[in-house]
Amino acid sequence: MRQAKGAAVDVVGLTKVFGEGETRVEALRGIDMTIAPGEFVAVMGASGSGKSTLLHVIGGLEPPTDGDVRIDGRSLRELNDDELTVLRRRRIGFVFQAFNLLQVLTAAENVALPLVIDGVAESEAHARARAALDRVALADRSAHLPGELSGGEQQRVAIARAVVTNPVLLLVDEPTGNLDSRTGEKVMALLRSLADDHGQTVLMVTHDAGDAAMADRLARLRDGVVADEQSLPAGRDAHELLGEDLS
Amino acid sequence: MSVRQALLGLLAGGARHGYELRAAYEGRLVPQGRLNIGQVYTTLERLERDGLVQHERVVGTDGHGRDRKVYALTPEGHAELHTWLAEPSPVRLDLRNEVFLKIVLARRIEGVDARGVVDRERRAAFERLHEVTQARARAEDASLEDDLLLDLAALRLQAFLKWLDHCEEKLS
Ligand SMILES: Nc1ncnc2c1ncn2[C@@H]1O[C@H](COP(=O)(O)OP(=O)(O)OP(=O)(O)O)[C@@H](O)[C@H]1O
Ligand SMILES: [Mg+2]
Repeated sequence: MRQAKGAAVDVVGLTKVFGEGETRVEALRGIDMTIAPGEFVAVMGASGSGKSTLLHVIGGLEPPTDGDVRIDGRSLRELNDDELTVLRRRRIGFVFQAFNLLQVLTAAENVALPLVIDGVAESEAHARARAALDRVALADRSAHLPGELSGGEQQRVAIARAVVTNPVLLLVDEPTGNLDSRTGEKVMALLRSLADDHGQTVLMVTHDAGDAAMADRLARLRDGVVADEQSLPAGRDAHELLGEDLS
Repeated sequence: MSVRQALLGLLAGGARHGYELRAAYEGRLVPQGRLNIGQVYTTLERLERDGLVQHERVVGTDGHGRDRKVYALTPEGHAELHTWLAEPSPVRLDLRNEVFLKIVLARRIEGVDARGVVDRERRAAFERLHEVTQARARAEDASLEDDLLLDLAALRLQAFLKWLDHCEEKLS
């Protein structure tokens, strides 16, 4: 089987079928996709094209029907349930449209939670949580409860929680879906800087063309297959762009 | 784009001569705008004829010892400028669109796939949007003017991409 050397994520012939008989849905119908370490890839496509399913299978939340996913060279197929749990907890960070923060815990406690569950000593967990909150520029909100934070801030806390374990891969589903456009832009700038400054590999699903354009590469799903893929080359600076003669 | 109004607006900041006006116009006021010095002087002459500007000859200041005409707004020029600022510009639908033309023709011409046209235009627009988005993200020290222009570019491209999605849906 084909396997890309040194890839952070390698998806080969991936299919996912839900249900049987009349309720049978082929959500993924043969996806091939390789993501290099530090690459930021966006997935677009109509509603129902299989975007979320792809994230869930890559993240080990759903088993594939056929094909394989390799994270950092390790096949998900070779992992037993315990190993899969560890992979989800340590190697993959998830960020969803609904921020999914625990309302009774402070921002810092929410961020530290994946480490605490994983048995990391409390003092170390809190130091790392503080560092992660610093990365998302929310160090001064550590003691706030989610209800005391704006939507954009809550999403940034969710991102801090997702990266606190230094995951190989950050999976992001519609991160700006619940945010106004200005706040959404800040969240996107944060994801971009995680890739640029910390080498974080990111796979993001979005409906928003502006968000997708932040990525290095764009994959378009149609009915469970990658219909089109495109690299987005680094561009010119603002001055060059604005001075360009379009006539 | 009205050269006339732009020059009136520039002169509201103080008297200037033709080359200064051209530099300011081409700088950031009208991005991608090109103005030859002949146009500047014809426009200034018309404005003067209409009583909106007046000039004064400044002796031997053009670098070659020759005289230079320095223009300033008259009270009527100020009034005209403020009237223009106070009324909304004509809202143009801007429907002359090359991509629309391609899609329509592709549908009529045997052997050309209109959806292929849409796909290729989308890829090109995404490359452009990526460029603009990156420029915005990097241009932290951009002037307010540049920032606003990049916003305009990004939002127009997003609207165009949305329209391409509609085209694709309606063509299938
Ligand atoms: N748990 C499930 N059980 C049965 N069918 C499912 C399940 N999850 C997804 N599907 C089906 O699989 C297809 C793909 O769904 P998916 O959620 O991946 O789409 P999506 O591209 O994320 O759409 P959206 O943009 O609306 O979020 C849909 O037809 C959906 O109904
Ligand atoms: Mg979805």
